Amino acid sequence: MDIIKQIDHWAQVQPEKVAHKSSGQTLSYQELFIQSNKLAEYLMQALPNDNSPIVILGHKHIEMTIGFIACAKSGHPYIPLENYFPEQRIKTVVDTAQASMVLTVEKIRDVLDGAKENLNFTPRERKQDDAWYIIFTSGSTGNPKGVVIPRSNLENFLNWAVPEHKVTRDTVILGQAPFTFDVSILDLYCSLYQGGTLVSVTKDEIANLKELFHTLKNSNATMWVSTPSFARLCLMDQSFSEDMIPTLSRFWLAGEALAPEICVDLLKRFPKTELWNAYGPTEATVATTSVEITKDILAKYNPVPIGYAMPGTQILIHDQDNRPVLSGERGEIIICGPNVSVGYINRPDLTERAFFELNGQRAYHTGDWGRYKDGMVFYEGRMDFQIKLHGYRIELGDIESNLHALTNIQDAVIIPVMKGEHADYLAAFVIMKTKTDQSDFENMQAMKKELAQRIPEYMIPRKFIFLPEFPMTSNGKADRRKLAETLQ
Amino acid sequence: MSVNETVLKHLERFTGTDQVRKDLNIDLFGERLLDSLASIELVLALSEDFSLDLAPGDVDRDEWATPQKIIDYINARAKQA
Repeated sequence: MDIIKQIDHWAQVQPEKVAHKSSGQTLSYQELFIQSNKLAEYLMQALPNDNSPIVILGHKHIEMTIGFIACAKSGHPYIPLENYFPEQRIKTVVDTAQASMVLTVEKIRDVLDGAKENLNFTPRERKQDDAWYIIFTSGSTGNPKGVVIPRSNLENFLNWAVPEHKVTRDTVILGQAPFTFDVSILDLYCSLYQGGTLVSVTKDEIANLKELFHTLKNSNATMWVSTPSFARLCLMDQSFSEDMIPTLSRFWLAGEALAPEICVDLLKRFPKTELWNAYGPTEATVATTSVEITKDILAKYNPVPIGYAMPGTQILIHDQDNRPVLSGERGEIIICGPNVSVGYINRPDLTERAFFELNGQRAYHTGDWGRYKDGMVFYEGRMDFQIKLHGYRIELGDIESNLHALTNIQDAVIIPVMKGEHADYLAAFVIMKTKTDQSDFENMQAMKKELAQRIPEYMIPRKFIFLPEFPMTSNGKADRRKLAETLQ
Repeated sequence: MSVNETVLKHLERFTGTDQVRKDLNIDLFGERLLDSLASIELVLALSEDFSLDLAPGDVDRDEWATPQKIIDYINARAKQA
């Protein structure tokens, strides 16, 4: 299997076919082939052949797709980053990964404008264990960590996901996840590999439902790939139904726990569309389990199952001593198999803590509670302070560390405010070092502004509560439970 | 309860600050007081309270950018109903 050869082959078979559509811009397979070759040649001339990572900065731009494929052709792994991330966060990623280049959308355009097509261009060979991409996720100490995914992992994933979800040349995938979130790997690569079309939904469209629904209506999407949170957002409007996207044959939801009420609503409003739930951390390449959620499944199980492991991958349930629990008992979900990442880039300490070898294969401690029932795996929450907020994976410690780094903070605790089973928004409880003359509102706005220089917008708490001191537990730590109770 | 009071009560709940009462022209999105999910929930809450047929997909974000704009929007829709 050669992903690049397969994608390039579509430029011969269907040169005019749209490979990626985003914000009114389109990229055909022929354009993808020519432009990625031009950019890859530039990268091969500009950088040594050293597998060093390249940061690609943008937001759902078609130039990012060109950049990803160009990196693969030039023998460099890429790190996708959102262009609205704060400068400091981008710098931390560049430094941690020791990236050799940062390619912005504008830079890619400049290179392509000035480059000539070389008809004799040959991509560099990639070995199976060469890193293909690196995705940075929130880290508990305030610094993000980069998950390294080799070529073989991506190939394994495609070998499973493409037939499992019947992706063909006629498939039009509607992709919501930003490229910094690995759910987007499914929509991008399944689509490009099979010669289909990816229609991206942008941040601005999501912020304005009117605009979003216009895109959905005109998408002709046959497959929907998103977080459950995004589906929930669309379901808030009654017009979101089969009439809006009559071509849709499949929902593929992943990235966070899927609430039964979302399933009930989707099956009711899209009676002809299949609904699939998938599970898998970034550390195990997009997804490792999946299952079709039917009315029968919903009638029988709550929570909704995350399904069956992909072939070749084992999902094990271990106790706190890392030993298998008895069948049906609750424990930590361990993923073992070829799709497990090789670790976090330049962080052997974190890698050693989270990854281990089991029966000659790579294994990963997910930190997720789970259990087996009727042959399927069920997710039962987190073991630590990692949460999913509207689909984003966030370590509460990441926000707290960044809050502590602000000028006038003595102590800070972040509490997710729950709505039913899912986190609705974040509240920050703050003790200030010195009292200011400003109102609480002014203090909150000043802190939000300062935080926006350090962490992405989706991590900034909605509410700030200023206290002279925190209630304490008997261990002398801030009592999170009591703080959460004040928000009820 | 008046339109003003109902809108402000909901806004206070969603934004977590009474500043929305003190400054009716505050930019709710620009000041990061409302995100897209909260704004949709606000549309649904006001739709229910005033028995108006408001669909989140029909509401332009610019028309809901400040407390005053929301109050004006609801008043206008209530008159039409």
